Amino acid sequence: MAATRRLQKELNDIRQSGLKSFRDIQVDESNILTWQGLIVPDNAPYNKGAFRIEINYPAEYPFKPPKISFKTKIYHPNIDEKGQVCLPIISAENWKPATKTDQVIQALVALVNDPEPEHPLRAELAEEFLKDRKKFSKNAEEFTKKHSEKRPSD
Amino acid sequence: MNSESETDEASRGNEASSSITNSAPGNSNDENITHSCADPINNQDIMKRAAAKQLIERYFYQLLDGCGNSDCDNKYCASSGEARNLTPNEAAAEAIKLFNKEARLCDALPNKVPRTESSHCESGAGTTSKEATNKNDTIRLDMPSSSRSPSNVWTEEKKGETSHNVSNADDHSNLSHNNGAPLTEERIYQLCDECLQNKKRQPLKRALGEAFTQPAILARSFPSKANVDVDLENKEKVKESKAMCSSSDPDKDIDSVAGPGLDVASCRRAFQYLSKVPSDYYSSTLVLALAQLAEYLRVELSTSKKMCMDDIVNCFVIAFEVPDLGCSDYLEVALPALCHAAEFLPVKGQAKLARIWAQHCKETLRHILETLQQVITLKIISTNYQRWFQVQEDETVTLATKLMKIVYYANMLAGVMEPNTLREEAVVIASQLDPLGDALDHLYPLSSMKSSKQPLPEDPLGIELDVNVLDARKPHLPFEEFYNEPLSDTVEMDVDFANYKIKVSNGKKFSFLKYPFILTAATKSLGLYYENRIRMYSERRVSLLQAVVGAVSPMPFLKLRVRRSHIIDDALVELEMIAMERTLDLKKQLVVEFEGEQGVDEGGVSKEFFQLIVEEIFNPDYGMFTQQQDSHTVWFNPTSFETEAQFTLIGIVLGLAIYNNIILAVNFPMVVYRKLMGKKGSFEDLSDWNPILYKGLKDMLEYSESDLEETYCQTFRICYRDVYGNNIFHDLKENGDDIFVTQENKQEFVEMYADFLLNKSVEAQFKAFRRGFVMVTDESQLCTLFRPEEVETLVCGSKNFDFNELEKSTEYDGGYTSESQTIKDFWSIVHSLSLEDKRKLLQFTTGSDRVPVGGLSHLKLVIARNGPDCDRLPTAHTCFNVLLLPEYENKDKLQDRLMKAISYSKGFGML
Repeated sequence: MAATRRLQKELNDIRQSGLKSFRDIQVDESNILTWQGLIVPDNAPYNKGAFRIEINYPAEYPFKPPKISFKTKIYHPNIDEKGQVCLPIISAENWKPATKTDQVIQALVALVNDPEPEHPLRAELAEEFLKDRKKFSKNAEEFTKKHSEKRPSD
Repeated sequence: MNSESETDEASRGNEASSSITNSAPGNSNDENITHSCADPINNQDIMKRAAAKQLIERYFYQLLDGCGNSDCDNKYCASSGEARNLTPNEAAAEAIKLFNKEARLCDALPNKVPRTESSHCESGAGTTSKEATNKNDTIRLDMPSSSRSPSNVWTEEKKGETSHNVSNADDHSNLSHNNGAPLTEERIYQLCDECLQNKKRQPLKRALGEAFTQPAILARSFPSKANVDVDLENKEKVKESKAMCSSSDPDKDIDSVAGPGLDVASCRRAFQYLSKVPSDYYSSTLVLALAQLAEYLRVELSTSKKMCMDDIVNCFVIAFEVPDLGCSDYLEVALPALCHAAEFLPVKGQAKLARIWAQHCKETLRHILETLQQVITLKIISTNYQRWFQVQEDETVTLATKLMKIVYYANMLAGVMEPNTLREEAVVIASQLDPLGDALDHLYPLSSMKSSKQPLPEDPLGIELDVNVLDARKPHLPFEEFYNEPLSDTVEMDVDFANYKIKVSNGKKFSFLKYPFILTAATKSLGLYYENRIRMYSERRVSLLQAVVGAVSPMPFLKLRVRRSHIIDDALVELEMIAMERTLDLKKQLVVEFEGEQGVDEGGVSKEFFQLIVEEIFNPDYGMFTQQQDSHTVWFNPTSFETEAQFTLIGIVLGLAIYNNIILAVNFPMVVYRKLMGKKGSFEDLSDWNPILYKGLKDMLEYSESDLEETYCQTFRICYRDVYGNNIFHDLKENGDDIFVTQENKQEFVEMYADFLLNKSVEAQFKAFRRGFVMVTDESQLCTLFRPEEVETLVCGSKNFDFNELEKSTEYDGGYTSESQTIKDFWSIVHSLSLEDKRKLLQFTTGSDRVPVGGLSHLKLVIARNGPDCDRLPTAHTCFNVLLLPEYENKDKLQDRLMKAISYSKGFGML
C-alpha cells in the first residue's frame, strides 16, 4: 500500500534504532496511519515522567505533514491543555516530504526538553517561564509527578 | 533655435521626403527595380526626377540646418552664418533656385532620402556624377548592414569635414556611409557621443529622422550579428533568419519568431543610450518621423503591399522600443498613428508581432501596455462623450484597444502556458425542438438569437496563435493590468452590446465586448446582463405569442413554487421536471413563490431562495459536497450517494444565479470555474484546491537527490480519506503499487495524481454539474467574455470580509480580554485596513484568505498575549488560528509591527 509502504519502513527503522527518548511504539495493524508512543525527556522538570503522544498521518502522507498530540497532560509553554503542539518542522509552511518521523520525534523531544517561550501556545506559561523560572520549574515538576506516566525502567 | 520652429522645419523635411517617396514608390524594393529597368524611358524619367528632388532636398536642409561644420564658408549654408534665417517655406523656394543654378553643396550634409538603388540605371540626371553614385552603391552593397567599426566611421567623418571645400562630385563617396544606412547600436552610440561632445544635434536628428521615416531602412536596422561568434541565443536567431531567407513564401515565415536578423536587445541598448542625450535634441524629429513611418506603413499595408511582412513587423517592433513613447508628444501624435497603421496588419502579421514581443520584448511589454493605457485614458478623460458620439466611435481609443489585443496575446505567450490538450469534453445539450420558434423566426428576428447554436465566434488572432486564455496559467503581466477603469466607467454597455450583436452580422461597428480584456468584470457583467435580459424578453415574447396562437405552455416566466420546509426537495423536483421537458424555459426570468406566502418576486424572493438553497446544499451533512479543511473550499464528494441528477440541478442553480444576477455564498476553489469554462484541472490547480498537498508534491518535484525512491517510498498507488474517515487506495496505473516514483517519472506521477483528484475521482459528479450549468448558460457569451477568475466574482461577488463578525467571535488568551487596550487598538487598526491588507491578515493568521462557509465567525480566532512590550513582530499558529501579539506600548507601534508581519510573511499560498 502506498502511504503505508513508507510508514512501514519508517516504523521498522524507528523500532530498530532503539531511540531512548521515544519508546513503546504501538501501531494498530489495521490502521498504520495512527501511532502511539512514549516520550521520555531527559531535562528537568520533565525527567520525572514520560508522556504518551499520538501521531496522526494524513492519507496523503508524506505530501502532507503528520499531526502530533499529547495524550498525557503536560505543563509546557508550547503544548496546550488539549495536548496540541505546534512543531515548526511539521507545520504546513515548513513541511518537507523527505522529512522522516524520527527527525520529527527528535525535534519534539528537543522542544519538550527546552521550551521555546518565544513562540508559545500558552502565553501565561511562557511568561512565567521567562520571568520566574524557579516557580515554573516547581509547578511543572509537580504537574509532571501528578499526571505523567511511569518512565520505562531500563 | 526654439522648439516650435524646429518642429515646423522637421515637418517640412518630412513632407519633402515623403513626396519623393511617393513619386518613386517602393524605391528600395528589388522587384520594383528589375521592373523599372526593363522600361528604360519611363525609368530615366523617374530617375531624373528623383535625383533632382534629392538635390533640392539637400539644398533645403543646408539652408535651414547647415552642414554642421562651424568653419563652413559656403554662403548658401546655414552653418557659415552667411545665409539669412529662412522660414521653411522660403527655404523650399530658395532650394529650387539653388538647384537650378547648381549652387555649391556642402559635403557633411547627408541626404534625408536614401540613395535610390535604381541609380544603377542612372542616366546622368542633374549634377550628380555617374561615377559618384556608382561608388555609393558599391559601398552599400558591400556593407548592407553598415556594421563598420565606429573608429572607421569616425575617420571618414573627419575626412569629410576637412575636405569640405573639395568639389561636389568627390564628396559623395565620403558621406555615403550614413546616407540612408540602417541604424546600428554602434552608430547610435557614436551619434550620441558626438552630439554630447559637440553640442550639435543635426547628425543625430538626421540619422533618426532618416531611418524612422523609411520602413525599408528601419527594417534593416539593428541587425543581429550573423558572422560574429556569440552566445547560443544569437546563434539560434541566426539560424532562424537563415531559414527565413531560404523560404520564399512570406506566409511560411510566420512560425519563425524573430524577423530577419533583428536584434531587439541591441535596439533596446541603443535607445537606452539615446536617453543620455537631452530629449529636446531629437524628440520632435522622432515624433514626426514615427508619425510618418506609421503613415507609410498604413499605406503600405492597406494598398501597395510591396514590403515583406517581416520588414513591416520589424518596423513595429523597433518603433515600440522607443523609450519615450509614453511622453506627451509621442502620445498625441506618433502613437495614435502607429495604432492606426497596426490596424491594417493582417492576422498573420499580428501573430508575428505578438510572437516577437513575447519572445524578445518581455521587458518592454509593460511599457507598451502602459503607454496604450495612457493613450486611452488621456483621450477618455479629455473627451465628453455623448449619445451621438460614443466612445466606440473614437478612433484613438478603438485603435489603441485593437493594438492592445496584440499585446494581450503576447503577454500570454510570454508567461506560463499550458498545453491546450487538457480540455473538458464539450457538453452538448440536445437542442429541444421548438416547432413554433422556427416558424416565428422570420416574424421576430430577435427570437432567432436562440436558434444561433453555432459555436461562438472566436478571435482570429487567438486561432492563428493557437492561444486560449484558459491555457494561460501565469501571464507575464497580470490580466488586471489590461483593465482600463476610465474606459470601463465611460462605455455605455447597452450601445456596446448592440454593436457587438451587429458586428456578428456585418462587422461594421466597434464593440469593446470584442476586446473583453480591457473591461472590468463589473462592466462586462453589465453586458451579460443586457444579453440575458434580451434573451429573457425574447423568450417571453415567444411564449406570449404561443399563447395567442393557442399553443401549449403560455408561461412567460420560469416559475418555481416551493415549500419553505422542503425547499431543496421541491426546487429540485420542479427544476428536474423543467430540465427534462422544457430546457428552454430555464432561460426565462426566474420567479419564485414560497407556498403560503404573499411575497411577489421582484428579485428579493428569488434572492432568499438561492441563499437558502446554497446553505442547505453545501452543508457537508447533506453529503453532496465536502469541506476542504486547509483551504476552506468546498468540493464534490466523490462518494456521494446523491444521483447525478442532483448535481445537474446544482449546476442549474449556479447558472440561474449568474443568469439572474444573484450573488451566491459558495466557496468553490478556482479549478471549478476553470473546469466549467472547459479546462481540465491540472497540477497547478492543486495550489488553491489543497495548498499543503500542492506544496508537498512540489517539494518532491524539486527534490534532486538520487535517493528519491528510498526516501519517499512512493508508488503509483495513492491514498485518500473519504468523508467517513476511511482510507481508500487508488492505483494511478495498473499495478500501481509495484511502480515506484523515481526522478524519471515523478512529473508523470504528480500529473496523474492531480488528474485523479481534480478530474477522474469526481468525473461523474462534475459532468452532471457542468451539464446543468451549461443548460442555462450555453448560448450566452459567458465563455468568451469572462476569465474563470471573473466568473468567480460573478458568482460570489467580490470577497468581502466581515471583520465585525470576526471580532465578536474572537477569543482571548494569555491575559488579554476584549477590554485590553492592545486588543481595542488592534481592532480599530484592523477595521481601517484595506481589503487587500485584511486578506493578508487572514492569510497570516489562518493560512488561507478564504472565508469559511458560514462566515468569519466560524474561524475561531484566538488572540493571545505574547509577553510585554518588545520589538518582536506578531506571530501566528496557523494550525489553530492563534495570533500571538505582544502587548505593545502604544497603537502606533502595534500598527507598525502588525503591518510588517502581514506584509513580509511568506505563507504557502503567496508565491
